[in-house]
Amino acid sequence: MQASSGMLTKFESKSSRAKGIAFHPKRPWILVSLHSSTIQLWDYRMGTLIDRFEEHDGPVRGVDFHKTQPLFVSGGDDYKIKVWSYQTRRCLFTLNGHLDYVRTVFFHHELPWIVSASDDQTIRIWNWQNRSLLCTMTGHNHYAMCAQFHPKEDLVVSASLDQSVRVWDISGLRKKHSAPTSMSFEDQVSRANANQTDMFGNTDAVVKFVLEGHDRGVNWVAFHPTMPLIVSAGDDRLIKLWRMSETKAWEVDTCRGHFQNASGCLFHPHQDLILSAGEDKTIRVWDLNKRTAVHTFKRENDRFWVIAAHPEINLFAAGHDNGVMVFKLERERPASAVYQNTLFYITKDKCVKSYDFQKNAESPTMLSLKKLGSPWVPPRTLSYNPAERSVLVTSPADGGTYELVNLPRDGSGAIEPSESKRGQGNSAIFVARNRFAVLNTSTQTVDIKDLTNNTTRSFKPPVGTSDIYFGGTGNLLIITPTAVHLYDIQQKKTTAELAVNGVKYVVWSNDGLYAALLSKHNVTIVTKTLEQVSTLHETIRIKSATWDDAGVLLYSTLNHVKYTLLNGDNGIVRTLDQTVYLVRVKGRNVYCLDRAAKPRILQIDPTEYRFKLALVKRNYEEMLHIIQNSSLVGQSIISYLQKKGYPEIALQFVQDPATRFELAIECGNLEVAVEVAKQLDRPKLWSRLSTEALAHGNHSVVEMCYQKLKQFDKLSFLYLTTGDNAKLSRMAKIAEHRGDFTSRFQNALYLGEVEDRIQMFKEIDLYPLAFMTAKAHGLEEECQSILEATGLTEDQLSLPTFGEPLTPPKPVVPTFQANWPTKATSQSIFEKALLGQVEGLSLEDEPAAANGLGEAEEEAKRDLLGEPDEDEDAAGWDMGEDIVAEVEEGFVNVESADAGGAGSSEADLWARNSPLAVDHVAGGSFETAMQLLNRQVGAVNLAPLKPRFLEVYQASKTYLPASAGLPPLVNYVRRNVEESDPRKVLPIIPRDLEYLASHDLHRGYDSMKANKLEDGRSIFKGILHSVLVNAVGSESEVTEAKKLISSASEYTVAMSIELARRALGTPDQVNQNPQLLKRSLELSAYFTIPKIEVPHRQLALLNAMNLAVRSRNYNSALSFANRILANGGASKILDNARKTKAQCERNPHDAVEIEFDQFAEFEICAASHTPIYSGTAYEECAFDGSKYHTKYKGTVCVVCEVCEVGKHGSGLKLFA
Amino acid sequence: MDPYSAEGELINIHNAFHQGQHREVLDFDVSSLSSDNALPARVLQLRARLALGQADDVLADVQGETAPELVAVGALAEQARGNTDKAVAAIEGLAKGDAGDNATVQVLGGTVLAAAGKAEEALALLGRHQGSLDAVALIVQIYLQQNRTDLAVKEVAAARRWAQDSLLVNLAESWVGLRLGGEKYQQAFYVFEELAQAPATSSAQSLVSQAVAELHLGRTEEAQAALDQALKKGSEYAADAIANQLVLSVITGKGSEELLSSLQKADARHPLLTDLAEKSDLFDKAATKYKAKVAA
Repeated sequence: MQASSGMLTKFESKSSRAKGIAFHPKRPWILVSLHSSTIQLWDYRMGTLIDRFEEHDGPVRGVDFHKTQPLFVSGGDDYKIKVWSYQTRRCLFTLNGHLDYVRTVFFHHELPWIVSASDDQTIRIWNWQNRSLLCTMTGHNHYAMCAQFHPKEDLVVSASLDQSVRVWDISGLRKKHSAPTSMSFEDQVSRANANQTDMFGNTDAVVKFVLEGHDRGVNWVAFHPTMPLIVSAGDDRLIKLWRMSETKAWEVDTCRGHFQNASGCLFHPHQDLILSAGEDKTIRVWDLNKRTAVHTFKRENDRFWVIAAHPEINLFAAGHDNGVMVFKLERERPASAVYQNTLFYITKDKCVKSYDFQKNAESPTMLSLKKLGSPWVPPRTLSYNPAERSVLVTSPADGGTYELVNLPRDGSGAIEPSESKRGQGNSAIFVARNRFAVLNTSTQTVDIKDLTNNTTRSFKPPVGTSDIYFGGTGNLLIITPTAVHLYDIQQKKTTAELAVNGVKYVVWSNDGLYAALLSKHNVTIVTKTLEQVSTLHETIRIKSATWDDAGVLLYSTLNHVKYTLLNGDNGIVRTLDQTVYLVRVKGRNVYCLDRAAKPRILQIDPTEYRFKLALVKRNYEEMLHIIQNSSLVGQSIISYLQKKGYPEIALQFVQDPATRFELAIECGNLEVAVEVAKQLDRPKLWSRLSTEALAHGNHSVVEMCYQKLKQFDKLSFLYLTTGDNAKLSRMAKIAEHRGDFTSRFQNALYLGEVEDRIQMFKEIDLYPLAFMTAKAHGLEEECQSILEATGLTEDQLSLPTFGEPLTPPKPVVPTFQANWPTKATSQSIFEKALLGQVEGLSLEDEPAAANGLGEAEEEAKRDLLGEPDEDEDAAGWDMGEDIVAEVEEGFVNVESADAGGAGSSEADLWARNSPLAVDHVAGGSFETAMQLLNRQVGAVNLAPLKPRFLEVYQASKTYLPASAGLPPLVNYVRRNVEESDPRKVLPIIPRDLEYLASHDLHRGYDSMKANKLEDGRSIFKGILHSVLVNAVGSESEVTEAKKLISSASEYTVAMSIELARRALGTPDQVNQNPQLLKRSLELSAYFTIPKIEVPHRQLALLNAMNLAVRSRNYNSALSFANRILANGGASKILDNARKTKAQCERNPHDAVEIEFDQFAEFEICAASHTPIYSGTAYEECAFDGSKYHTKYKGTVCVVCEVCEVGKHGSGLKLFA
Repeated sequence: MDPYSAEGELINIHNAFHQGQHREVLDFDVSSLSSDNALPARVLQLRARLALGQADDVLADVQGETAPELVAVGALAEQARGNTDKAVAAIEGLAKGDAGDNATVQVLGGTVLAAAGKAEEALALLGRHQGSLDAVALIVQIYLQQNRTDLAVKEVAAARRWAQDSLLVNLAESWVGLRLGGEKYQQAFYVFEELAQAPATSSAQSLVSQAVAELHLGRTEEAQAALDQALKKGSEYAADAIANQLVLSVITGKGSEELLSSLQKADARHPLLTDLAEKSDLFDKAATKYKAKVAA
């Protein structure tokens, strides 16, 4: 019955000929008036008939819904116009007046008016509020077939079999009827009446234009919703387009194509299209601007009589000989793809945009796809390749096409794709980062293509393949109408198959372990190996789905968002007022695209499914959290828990004792059950409890139940079985009291008390039995006494033969003392938590950002306080030495393995490409590297650089395992990753400048603060060595590197000075020796000279000040105190300095004369630790800039330990 | 029909071998194979055992066998045990005769010769192949070892023309890609990642390869993750994993001494160690050329 491929039929009904159709503006309803006099109200979404209205006599030709009121109007061959309420489901009133068939009826969009067209050649306007005829428009001289109000202006357009279309101006009518409010009701009535009586002065409605052009009768006419256009359909098989201005109207063009009478036509509400329907069994779609046919949908047997459009959404309806069909012209599902936190989608105007879920922000247009496919066919799918940042778009146009386009790196402006690759195919998806698959359904082939659009392989998919989807790495999911195949691309075969009908979409979970197969009414969840996990059925059409991070599938139907867990538990999350396509769930937000391809965020309450999920996963903490923080607990969840076999959890929620009892019994929690049973004290509960307790072997509870129930028999038997003879005899006593002989007998029997039994028999005059009992147990005396009492002799009795008398078995184990042991059921975490440890559970994870901040602060604090970090300090320096030790051990020449080669390795290229020592080192060309260093900075003692050399060298090569049996392939790691020109490639450098500045330097500072000067000095020397053999990326970094060098150098000198002072001896030794004391004081003063960071200098000053005070060098101390105060900073040090200053100012004299002039400018010789006053000659290290007295020229610099003092090279080169 | 082609019986075992899934190769059910393919499958399994370090067992297994393929396997086993001369002699013997036209002999012989440093001889032997992708891959590797990237590129391009999208061609192309760099890094990464991250094809070898590609791309964290995964996979290629981890560790500014000693333990003959020792020596020698004018 499908009219034509490409038509998206949403609903079809079967009935007699449908003559009139109207969409409800809000609800998914359609009114259909039939030739059989019935008016049907359908829900086209659900496909159900809501109501039937049968009051017309004969065919009903016109119907219309009111926009806001629960009303509709109909007009029929009985000349009547009826106004109905669909709420009360009856006809409110009838408007009589037409003298022939009523063809169409329409409500006015704001006034309480109805316009009708009739075979009596008139068009009439009615007021449905006061149920009166306002105006009769005469002029047509044949049947008036159709009349409609203009959607905005005071115009009416009409079509008639007199071959004309007329436009009527009804502004006069409006003026008359929407008068100022001051006008009284009477006035209105009188004026209205006055008009009605007006026979000829048709001033209310005048013909504005008469449009002539059809050369047969005109069946339908319609205004354009916004533009001054009119479209009409006539028996001349033509669709005519008319334009009007204020003063005139003219024919624009004709759409030719119908080969039978054209019965209806309309403008597309949103797009530049015209739709028409005709008796040639076709619906045709025309381009409004070009007047060319866009689509033709043909129906086999049914002539079309009427066509209508939904005012808001993209839906149309057409009535034909056998009913009605509701359809849309194009798919409204926007093509989209999600990658991590970004949604890529195609808008209605065919632009690719992205949406950031984190920022909730839309990007500007990234790409325009206007040129893809035909203008009226939206793209069907979008597949995104994050690595290449490209998209693969398919469009059903031209039998299916795909296009591979790169997204611009910086998304800005509407950009035409600069380069695209396209081809024929119905489905195209990325299957790997550099491969995509294209399905061609007509040839039934799947091609795997690379990014240059070349086919690398191709294969035949299973028969009838309709679509393909990504199937996990290296796999495809191939969809056929009846099954889904998991297809291994490499092996070219189906590895799994699952029979599922009509799958339309596949949605993978975020972790790639599960996929949801969506068909029209089913959701099937499968694993990645295509094993079915669960399936569910929906009566309403399923539109889309997306996975929660926790593995819950959220899916949308036409009117709901629902969830399903992997185990198939499902439920409703929220209702929808319009269809949306879910793309992502994050917390309480569901992101989706609506039909206008706009991203939207829906709020949901995920509590229910999270709880259920937690339950399935037994994640009790999560459950607790949910319970505490939401009002989840209701009957539904309890019954859910019970149904799903979690009575013990449900038990925790329930207050109602009856339910509690049920749950307790169900989960075997006797304690709770007893407690509740006591509370309720109902026999029925006790009996159920006893059964359950018996099953548990908990006989004390059973006993209690029997006691409560006064079930003496059972109680006795229980005592018997548990061997509780004491209680049995008490039972016997009780039985005696009650005078219940049966019970007494039974108890006696259980106890094996023969006398008691005999006694009882005697009491109730059952002497024969008493005798027998006595006889059987050999109690002859008793026998005799019975015989005497009865006056009989033994001879008179005929006795059966006796066997051995039975005695009840003696209990071996005193079972009654304790319940039967049962395996202790440990309380679940959940129960425990609920019972008392609730407080312990933390609520939410602390936001990560806060943590980060905290850490940063902590680090900052540590910096300030100078807390030591010993392990870290040690690592940097020791490492190097270890390497040296180890590599020296075994020397194997592997030269031979490489020697046979005919080419030069990349390592050789590095040395060739770069003038930097470090690149030569990385290339293994140590000799040239050393030469360079010698020439640049006068490096002469290279041994300390060995760790650095080897470090750089080690970082330069990776080992790629290739063919089995051969050594790994060596590859060379580059620092310019993007570069592939062999003349420009350069090696990677470990511990580059940035790393040194952010790690090693800070470690150095830390050791300074922590007073670990030995370590600190090694660290700073390490920095010097690392910078010496290094490379930077720009000229500005060279300056930074220089700063780093001089800073490291200053620290090294400073620390060396202080270390030298400490090496003088213990404080006592120093104090006793004036020579040493002097030197010590000098060194402490010099320690304050190098340009180190201010907080560190404060430490040096504090140190010098304290030493000076102790040696009563108040003058020096005063100068240090002043410098401390000038520097500012930590208040503790300042206070200290202030105190010292006050103390020293009283007596500003030095007890020990030292060589330290606080006012002179000088620097410290790194080797001798003596001042080099400004103006005197000095030598320096070409690399680190440390100063020396001239006598040290030619020695190895003690700071860097590498360069020769006074040897000036070309300068260190770090940037080529 | 070529048994290694996509439709052939041996495709899976062959792929598993080249993906470094040696244990899967051994677990492969070979009983159902046709008689023609039984021997190649056995050779693959023997090679897998060699790769797993069972050289002695393999040698015992092929003892007394006369089929040239198995003799070649024997030579490979000898080589693995360190008897390079013996292995080379055996291969040279085979190469002289008709057995030199046997694809398996070419591949195994090429491996032995290349490993013995006789690259030219290996290339000569491998050059006799007729449509063997194994041989192509080996040739590519030898060219790369010789730093003849240009020849390797040509070899791969030629193979791609007749071998479509096969695993070995992809691998060989990726090997070359890691030499060429630039955009090729990313493409190589795709190939390795696809192998390494799909559970069906993942192996220590492919994980290490992926890590190497990441490392070259400057993605140190990802490289670290892949190496950790590789080390978890077991002892195969552990030495390579450690070696690369060492490189990574140095690049990220962390210490390397711990890794050096664990590499020493894993494979004392690993090229990284031998190379480093050589360079250390070179350094010491070179450093003696420089001296300060005045001793301090």
